[in-house]
Amino acid sequence: MAEHVILFAGPMGAGKTTAIESLSEIETIRTEATNTDRETADKDTTTVALDYGEITVSDEDKVRLYGVPGQRRFNFMWTILKERAVGLILLVNNDAADPIEELDAFLEEFGELHEKGGIVVCVTRSDVAPTPYLDKYAERIREVMPGRMIPVFTADARNADQMRTALMSLIANIEMTAMIAGNQERAA
Amino acid sequence: MTEQVSAHKDPVVIAFANEVLDGFSDVCRSLRYATFLTDDGFEVASIAGDEKQNRRVASMASSMQALGDAVAKDLRIGGAEYIIIAAETGYVIQMRVPEHAMVLAAHFDAAETVGKALSVVRLAASNMRTLVRDKAA
Ligand SMILES: Nc1nc2c(ncn2[C@@H]2O[C@H](COP(=O)(O)OP(=O)(O)OP(=O)(O)O)[C@@H](O)[C@H]2O)c(=O)[nH]1
Ligand SMILES: [Mg+2]
Repeated sequence: MAEHVILFAGPMGAGKTTAIESLSEIETIRTEATNTDRETADKDTTTVALDYGEITVSDEDKVRLYGVPGQRRFNFMWTILKERAVGLILLVNNDAADPIEELDAFLEEFGELHEKGGIVVCVTRSDVAPTPYLDKYAERIREVMPGRMIPVFTADARNADQMRTALMSLIANIEMTAMIAGNQERAA
Repeated sequence: MTEQVSAHKDPVVIAFANEVLDGFSDVCRSLRYATFLTDDGFEVASIAGDEKQNRRVASMASSMQALGDAVAKDLRIGGAEYIIIAAETGYVIQMRVPEHAMVLAAHFDAAETVGKALSVVRLAASNMRTLVRDKAA
């Protein structure tokens, strides 16, 4: 298996930086700046370029983890990092003003990563805001990306085990996509 | 404690930034464009450029600054003082306003020497610091 590049995307405050921190085996690279937009997410810092971490899965397969800034004005970074990635963990914080709309907007931006490997959706901060329930997410995913297999989990970005479960599920998807592509090539 | 207003929403800071930028373009004719931005990429004030472009430059400069800091931190060589991007027909210099969560990004045409451009950027950043500090005092 080649070295995978996995992208973490989603709205401001969803937990992308936190998730990479939880998962990474190396000291993460961060680009946090003082956050002046407290209305959108009430936290001290926000990512302005990228997060980077690494994790080894199944023996010696190294997975590179890149986090993007959540704020749309940094979408040039989305374009740059999307190029490299073969899979997406889309984090959506359940306490966002309209989490289902956020899901929709980020699927529109990053949906192409499904064809490149796979997408997994993680709903975070459901302890802070219990609704919407997962079925609302699943429903919207079916509407905007019909016929695609995109699992939805609830997960706490601070919890390494939960994030690892989501990551392993994504990697399984990516490998399946690669296998199917390989079979189609051989058949052609 | 007084309410902390972020720089890009603070009319006094915006006025200071405009004042510094005006002086800046007077001393340096090869200056094409300059903007003050918050560390998290909001435009505080700019000279030249259209509104959309200014906002975009502010976001990109903020990413650049943070990447520069990340590299310097990783190599353990202290904080990044300034960043220069040299291109075919000009260059961009950016520098943090000392002690503030604010960055100055400036674009010069190739006629200027890097040394001269760097010294005027440093001066403008330092003037900005003085104005903001004196306001706080
Ligand atoms: N209560 C609770 N807090 C969480 C959960 N997941 C993440 N957090 C917290 O939510 C915050 C998320 O912040 P970040 O990790 O900076 O979010 P981000 O997605 O990187 O945001 P930007 O870089 O600004 O786009 C952190 O304070 C986390 O500790 C969760 O499931 N429950
Ligand atoms: Mg972040």
